[in-house]
Amino acid sequence: MVSLARSALPVVILALGLSACSVFRAPATPTAAGGAQTAETPSGTARPSPEIPAAPTPAPPAPAPPPHHQFQLGPAASALVAQSHTQAKGGDTAQAGATLERALRIEPDNPLLWIELGRLQLQENNAAQADAMGRKALALASGDASAQASAWRLIADSLRVRGRNQEAADAERRAASFAPH
Amino acid sequence: MLYLNHVATTQFEGRRWTLPAQVFAAPLELYTGLPLSRAQLAAELERLGYKRSERLERPGTYRFKDTHLEVALRPARFADEARHAGILSIAFGNEGIAGLTEAAGQEVPVLRLEPLLIGSIFPIHGEDRLIVTPDEVPPLLPATLKAVEDRKFDSHYGVDPLAMMRALWVNVRAGQIEQGGSTLTQQLVRSYFLSSRQTLARKLKEAVMAMSLDAHFSKADLMNAYINEIFLGQDGDRAIHGFGLASEFYFGKPLAELDLSEIALLVAIVRGPSYYDPRRHPERARERRDLVLKVMSEQKIVKAEEAYAAAQRPLGVTPRPSGTYYPAYLDFVRRTLRRDYHDEDLTEAGLRIYTSLDPRAQEEAEHALEQELARLDRLKKHPNSALEGAVVVTTPPSGEVIAIVGGRNVGYDGFDRALDARRSMGSLVKPFIYLTALESGRYNAATIIDDAPIDLKLANGQHWRPENFTRQTYGPVPVVRALAESLNLATVGVGMEVGLPRISETLARFGLEQPPAQVPAMLLGAVNLTPLEAAQLFNGLANGGFKNPLRAVRAVISADGKPLKAFPLEVTPVASPEAVYELDRMLIEVMERGTGRPARAILPQSLVVAGKSGTSSDYRDSWFAGFSGAHLAVVWVGYDNNDPTGFTGASGALPVWARIMSGLGTRSWSAPIPDGIAEVHIEYLTGLRAVPACASDIVEVAVPADAPIPAKRGCGLPEEASPVRIGAERAAQPPGGLVH
Repeated sequence: MVSLARSALPVVILALGLSACSVFRAPATPTAAGGAQTAETPSGTARPSPEIPAAPTPAPPAPAPPPHHQFQLGPAASALVAQSHTQAKGGDTAQAGATLERALRIEPDNPLLWIELGRLQLQENNAAQADAMGRKALALASGDASAQASAWRLIADSLRVRGRNQEAADAERRAASFAPH
Repeated sequence: MLYLNHVATTQFEGRRWTLPAQVFAAPLELYTGLPLSRAQLAAELERLGYKRSERLERPGTYRFKDTHLEVALRPARFADEARHAGILSIAFGNEGIAGLTEAAGQEVPVLRLEPLLIGSIFPIHGEDRLIVTPDEVPPLLPATLKAVEDRKFDSHYGVDPLAMMRALWVNVRAGQIEQGGSTLTQQLVRSYFLSSRQTLARKLKEAVMAMSLDAHFSKADLMNAYINEIFLGQDGDRAIHGFGLASEFYFGKPLAELDLSEIALLVAIVRGPSYYDPRRHPERARERRDLVLKVMSEQKIVKAEEAYAAAQRPLGVTPRPSGTYYPAYLDFVRRTLRRDYHDEDLTEAGLRIYTSLDPRAQEEAEHALEQELARLDRLKKHPNSALEGAVVVTTPPSGEVIAIVGGRNVGYDGFDRALDARRSMGSLVKPFIYLTALESGRYNAATIIDDAPIDLKLANGQHWRPENFTRQTYGPVPVVRALAESLNLATVGVGMEVGLPRISETLARFGLEQPPAQVPAMLLGAVNLTPLEAAQLFNGLANGGFKNPLRAVRAVISADGKPLKAFPLEVTPVASPEAVYELDRMLIEVMERGTGRPARAILPQSLVVAGKSGTSSDYRDSWFAGFSGAHLAVVWVGYDNNDPTGFTGASGALPVWARIMSGLGTRSWSAPIPDGIAEVHIEYLTGLRAVPACASDIVEVAVPADAPIPAKRGCGLPEEASPVRIGAERAAQPPGGLVH
């Protein structure tokens, strides 16, 4: 089974510890736990992050999204999501799914689209796919507390319809830890 | 006689051409922000048969205006909806498309160009056609056919006795049958009912049947049947029937858009599609086209000046048959559909099949393979045999296959290596060994493993003594280096420790259908798979540990537009996203300092990619599998007879792969760092935490944030094993623990 992302708190501590030993670049996702706490860098030990090492070729570090941000849909994806909602309301879930896939081809790394697709799967009683899409969304949503909360809620719902209430409650708690109260 | 009458009328009455399924590529989605230049968009339109025209007078034309491109779109049918014809204006900025506006000034967020017809699934006898309705036929075509082939078509009774007598006279004098003198109706009968043997008895039969057809059906009906039935060209096994398909085949655009000279050429071809083949015999074809134009002018169908102007024009045929056939891709489409459809459904029922083929990616892959194999052949001592190869390209998050090349002779519909060549995967297996190791929690990128001689006594009593590619041993090395440099001994050590069953299970989770024999040689890639299967496995790595069944077909639509079947997106989590992230970061180092490094000379400098080479024993197979942020490509190079090639994965398949990746205009690999994973700088040779000031060769790896990694002395770093411990969640690993 897939190991779930750990809860936010240790990561915050972790960011502290890491900056203290100053070889680590602060992880790109000192998760917005409750949106408020941010690891404070202990003064005195902070150093500029190391130069790009003298590797044979400069290894371009993979650009990760900034720590705090909110995913949004571009105009094209946004129009397609609206269209898919109309199609789904009209009972045409297959077309609605195809339209969401169009959007996903334009923005494959946007967790909001995976959540949309997962919600549609849930409507079609395809809980296993809904769960998988929720987890895919979660993997993309680092740094966006609201997207992480939505992904966890989708996972919770997909567990609940399969009668896995204990796990659902756990997922619900994780969702709540991200969502502003 | 009565019998013939009956046959002709009943069969013709219930006539239904067998309609091969038409297969379409993915439509190009246009939207603000799409990185596509005006020239690139123009090229895409040209591929769809659009012509540049300053007047924008009809659908199928486009023009440049200021910094915009304006296009008169044709009506289009997609899997899910239809779009009307209309004018669209596209604005460009530095980043690509800056906006789309309809004629009425309405902004459009997203719009698809019509999908390119890439082929059809025709039956064994090879008749391929594309039916046109009378309103899709330019009026000039029937008029010209009548003028050239059958001037009394509108008034005769199916045969033209005078023309027949004239033909008979010519034939008698020549002592053999030479001249036709057949009406269009007779030609239709011949094509529709009869064999093409030229005998007098058959001639009579043909005449009788033509007369009965004429008596029962309207002239308009017969003309339309003729336009859809007649044979107009041959393309390998595929017979081009009807003017609808001929127009696509010769000019790459719909029949309705043909101009005078193009219509004249098609009518010229009717007389002898092989003899007047405009691609093989342009002189003859041109001479006859000009003759047709002359007749048109004489018969007052067009003005003399128009005919003269048309005769000055080049033939205008596309160099290669358009709707360029992609046999390897169509092969995959056919196999996908065979599970749900009978052969007859595919070859006769007029289905429309929408696929994810990306014509641009397909062309890049074909060119890259063709050119690199030619170069590699020149480097070889094998003067008599040619290297072969195969390519599969996917978009990992969707699991869609966007290009397949089945061999270097791309137009040839033969052995499809991408789907059928089962070859030893070599070191392509290593990422799955290390992923299994990472998932065990006992390893990370900085873990020191021992690259030392191995001597394993096998079940059969024999000894297995694998070697490194360089025949040297490297001693203690960090995991990241063992993978980057594809060290065999270190990997076998890890694999034996982790266990063959678990590695085999990892491969199965990622989609390997036939479980490999659990022998130690499996750790060096003694697992046979096809390039498509390799793409399935690596797609899961490129997609963050989520597996999607690779697919080529998006939807199947019936002839009357009903959705029949869809293959929606499916994902299944098959590995810990954290472990896959750690592995992917190491696969980036393969490209930066390991066996993938030669690709840097070809790839755009700032493009971040991840990948792994594979070489099977004795250099029989050269593999490269790797991905960017948007594409995965798998390349195999080898000989069909399994002879050694002398190439490693890095010297054979890698340059093909790098060319494809460069040509795709892809974007860098990137993924958010999972919670609980941290980036750390270590010394590449020792695996010790270090900073640039105290070490010469530093690499950044992603490891579990609580992983204990000893620091290098003299770097001013605390030497404790672990930067931070979080409870006892993860058992601390003894620093530098050697694993044998």
